[in-house]
Amino acid sequence: MNIRGVFIEDTFAEGFSMAAARVVITAASSKWSRAAALKLTGFATSIIACKCEAAIERELTPDETPDGRPGVSALLFAMNAEGVKRRLVERISPTVLTCPTTSCFDGLPDATERVLVGRALAAFGDKFQSSTVVGGQRYWRVPVMEGEFLLQESFGVQGKAVGGGNFLILAEDAPSALAAAEAAVEAIDGMSGMPGVILPFPGGVVRSGSKVGSRGYKSMVASTNDAYCPTLRLSTGSALVEGVNAVLEIVIDGLDANAISRAMRAGIQAACRPGVRTITAGNYGGGLGKHHFHLREIMGGD
Amino acid sequence: MSSDVVTVSLRAPLAEPLHVEGLTADRVAGLSECEIASLPAWEGTRKARLGDFFDIKGERLDRVRVVGDLKNVHGVAAGMAGGELLIDGDAGRGVAQAMTGGLVVVGGDVGVDAARGMIAGTLVVGGRTGDQPGRGSKRGSIVALGGIEVPVTYWYACTYEPPYVRLLLMYLRKRYGLAIDDRMITGRYRRHCGDAGNPDRGEILEWESSSSGDVARQ
Repeated sequence: MNIRGVFIEDTFAEGFSMAAARVVITAASSKWSRAAALKLTGFATSIIACKCEAAIERELTPDETPDGRPGVSALLFAMNAEGVKRRLVERISPTVLTCPTTSCFDGLPDATERVLVGRALAAFGDKFQSSTVVGGQRYWRVPVMEGEFLLQESFGVQGKAVGGGNFLILAEDAPSALAAAEAAVEAIDGMSGMPGVILPFPGGVVRSGSKVGSRGYKSMVASTNDAYCPTLRLSTGSALVEGVNAVLEIVIDGLDANAISRAMRAGIQAACRPGVRTITAGNYGGGLGKHHFHLREIMGGD
Repeated sequence: MSSDVVTVSLRAPLAEPLHVEGLTADRVAGLSECEIASLPAWEGTRKARLGDFFDIKGERLDRVRVVGDLKNVHGVAAGMAGGELLIDGDAGRGVAQAMTGGLVVVGGDVGVDAARGMIAGTLVVGGRTGDQPGRGSKRGSIVALGGIEVPVTYWYACTYEPPYVRLLLMYLRKRYGLAIDDRMITGRYRRHCGDAGNPDRGEILEWESSSSGDVARQ
């Protein structure tokens, strides 16, 4: 299968079951809602090192938010609902509570599984906090020096979320790989509606794909994916042919498998551009993750 | 009007004061139409039924909308413990008295003793709030949009933009289609804490423009 001269390998990305929350942050302006969201989702690229994966999903217009102010939706993924709760409790307080003018709402109101977050965070109010119910949902009012911080009590958890959707861009040189990766990220970011996906790595792109374990260090749970390092083409069992001199990876977490498939389709389509030789995907043979995203099926081929 | 709301409509204007008992969202949530109509009402000293004066539509829902001029109807939402009760026009004395939870919204004016002895919950008044609001309250909020004489037993704390009021008014606009002025949603409010003896827990949030004479009516 070829798309504009780029070979689509007959393989699949292997994704894992996760749990996810959608956090809606509003503020006096998008500058401040974004500032809080960037901190909330900071240091959250890989669950192995960061305990969760998180990023901004998209910006919200005032008519899309509960309080009619500009906002940002962010998705946070952990291995289960308890992990989601713990990460929300430890992250919202130092990042959203502290940020001028912000309020913090649940973005998955229809989710039946819910975790209680607000009460624990509201304790910052030192018993001056109060709670109130609006539309059947409890909110906490925490007095702060600026006025009040408003925080929803419970957050919905999507228990059928998927992490680890991915594809690799094999290019003739590093600038071509980067241009293709940037085009893929832009296409995924530009998906209409609530995309339901995030790209948790810096700028949405990974240059250091990893393999499970390590050949040289027993204690390491992951190490460099030497098969895709161009400098090691003759030093290891390389997956690269001569002429491939740079590889970048796009990693995608989604609220469900369909969201990841849509994002992979948009991203791969955009990444097929001059200087790119092959699009492939990372997997572990299919035995570790229950979600398999076959590239050729996603792109409408065989 | 939403079908998930119990509608209680006054058939004709009342010449005599009527005192109702049990007309609260949490009580209605457990009652059939017939049982709602059987709630007690007092016309002077004569005992009557709510259904003698009001048409009831809907049952077993904790959202209630009361329609008609209730200036002469007293005790609506007294003792309410949860749910939502909206009064489209004016209301009489003792609205939301001794309320312990939930949301009461009055589009017009309310009489004296609104939210007296309130323990928790929220009363929103679109029109003018009568004398002695929130007297003896322990917690809870009165959001006054159309002018209020704040009791001397409440203390002024600050003027600010409460995010909670913004959320609440946006909710009322979206959920019930209330014509709430943008200036109330984005505006500043004077926060008064009380009542005496238990300060800081009960509050009156007074829309700043209402206190400067710019009284807004729906």
